[in-house]
Amino acid sequence: MVLERFRSLDLFTKLCSSWLTIMILMAVLGPLLPLVNPREADVESMGVGLFSSGHVFGTDTNGYDVLANIVDGSRLSLLIAVVSVGLGGFLGAALGIVSAFVRGKFDYVVSLSFNIMLSIPNLVLGLALVAVLATSPDPTQAVSSNRRVVVVMLSLTIVIIPILGRIARGATLTWINREFITAARSMGLKNHQIVLKHVVPNVLPSIYAIGFLAIGVVIVAEGALSLLGVGITDGVSWGAAIARVSGDFTYAPHSMYMPVAVLALTVIACNQIGDYLRAQLDEREGKI
Amino acid sequence: MKAKTTSIVDVLKRLAQLLLVVIGATFLLSLLLRLLPVGLKELYVTGLFEEDRQRQIKELGLDRNAFSYYLHWLWDFVRGDFGRIVLPGGGGESVASHVGRALPKTLQLVFYTQIFALAVAIPLGILSAYRAGRRTDRFVSYGLFTAASVPNFVLGLLLALIVGAKLEWLPPLGYVPISESFVDHIRGMVLPVLSLGIPLIASYTRLLRTDVIATLREDFVTMAVAKGLSDRRILFTHVLRPSSVTLLTAAALNMGALIGGSLVIERVFSIPGLGTEIGFAIFGRQYFALQAYVALVAVGYVVFNSVIDVIVGIVDPRTRERRGA
Repeated sequence: MVLERFRSLDLFTKLCSSWLTIMILMAVLGPLLPLVNPREADVESMGVGLFSSGHVFGTDTNGYDVLANIVDGSRLSLLIAVVSVGLGGFLGAALGIVSAFVRGKFDYVVSLSFNIMLSIPNLVLGLALVAVLATSPDPTQAVSSNRRVVVVMLSLTIVIIPILGRIARGATLTWINREFITAARSMGLKNHQIVLKHVVPNVLPSIYAIGFLAIGVVIVAEGALSLLGVGITDGVSWGAAIARVSGDFTYAPHSMYMPVAVLALTVIACNQIGDYLRAQLDEREGKI
Repeated sequence: MKAKTTSIVDVLKRLAQLLLVVIGATFLLSLLLRLLPVGLKELYVTGLFEEDRQRQIKELGLDRNAFSYYLHWLWDFVRGDFGRIVLPGGGGESVASHVGRALPKTLQLVFYTQIFALAVAIPLGILSAYRAGRRTDRFVSYGLFTAASVPNFVLGLLLALIVGAKLEWLPPLGYVPISESFVDHIRGMVLPVLSLGIPLIASYTRLLRTDVIATLREDFVTMAVAKGLSDRRILFTHVLRPSSVTLLTAAALNMGALIGGSLVIERVFSIPGLGTEIGFAIFGRQYFALQAYVALVAVGYVVFNSVIDVIVGIVDPRTRERRGA
């Protein structure tokens, strides 16, 4: 069934979904692949170019293998994206659906809170949250990298909640006045049954579509935070790998191309799949 | 439903909503400081003697509860007093002076980008809608889509490296004020504006293309064609205006992404704007300054969006009616 669905896609969407599959496989199977240790510098060949022996994508100024860093970084970058969008999407959708369903004061408060959070540009909000939450109590010591990862995930989750929440609320509002909801109500279904059986299944497709776009947003935000020096600083995410070589115009500038390309292609793929899902949705709506 | 014109009550309602959002956002920011894993007192109160300590606590407003602290902060903020950079000995520079130096650079970057993106996207969008359905159209659409999804810092890093450092056509980093040299100012701004602008152009063109295609199906266009007007005249005087509503709204909404993006792009190209100041504030543990910068960004973004809403109402009278209905 999956294969049939795949065949029906246009070429660009095929390419994008294949790329995403490769990235996910890379992240999951990364530790099993026969690669150099990404955290071990090869002092013999520092800053070598693409396709040099032993280093397919070359090494950066410090002698770290670029390919190994991309594979290793994919794990954290994708984990942050999936967790933030998953958790933020779940919380946002739950809030949005419930507030659109009950309306009244609760809805007013929830919409206002969404608007308040959306009034701060998402990268700026993420930056402020990470900056505050990742402060180490002792100025002479940096925050542990595990804490940093959790803080970045949490902050980006908070950024995602109002984005998907507003979409879910809007989608729910379009369904709530349909006849089948009235029918369900007249059949004596309880509110929670109506929401779970009749509203959620109809709202979910649009959440999925925007969810893919949100994954792109989070990957970019993680990269930007790392570039600004407040995200993952240890060199195990794509953003961190890019941040480490950015600004190196002299020694090994070529080591930036591959991580940058992989990040950009993944974002493009997520956006295309989100767009494709949204277009499917419009078609389905059109048929009704 | 009967169409109504916008009344004073509607305007006041909108203003109240706006004020509520701004107050909510700034209040949340001031609460955020209390989430610091380290107390502000431990961070900033360094006096050796008890009297010094008490004086510092009072000066920073740390003796107040969250609510009273916020009200004092808001009163100062509205009057343009954004607090001070806190130094161990007391008496650092005022944050307002930092804002005064940094903000114009960020605004320049953002406005140049918007103007550049709109100037390219409007003719491009109209042209691609005019020629919609040709074989090349699909490839152009995919190209635009791809360009719209490229993260701006990726473009920035590549442009700085290739055009700036390798080809040496333009300076890869640095900022030159207009007063010093206009030509160098523009030369320094080209790469940052391109990295922020190219994704914008792509998304604006896509939006405008869709809207123009929709407008071209309307009766008044057929009427204009029947009257024998030239295609160019129809496109630019009759079609552009009703088609530009989505574009304008998108331009306003993009302002947030653009401000966020400009923080990173400033970093990539070493432009001493607000993004750089935010970076300094984070690494210097200047949380009061950070609060002021983020609050400014939020207030500016909200106000700008409302202004655009009003402009959209003027450009397209249909939305005014719809909103009143």
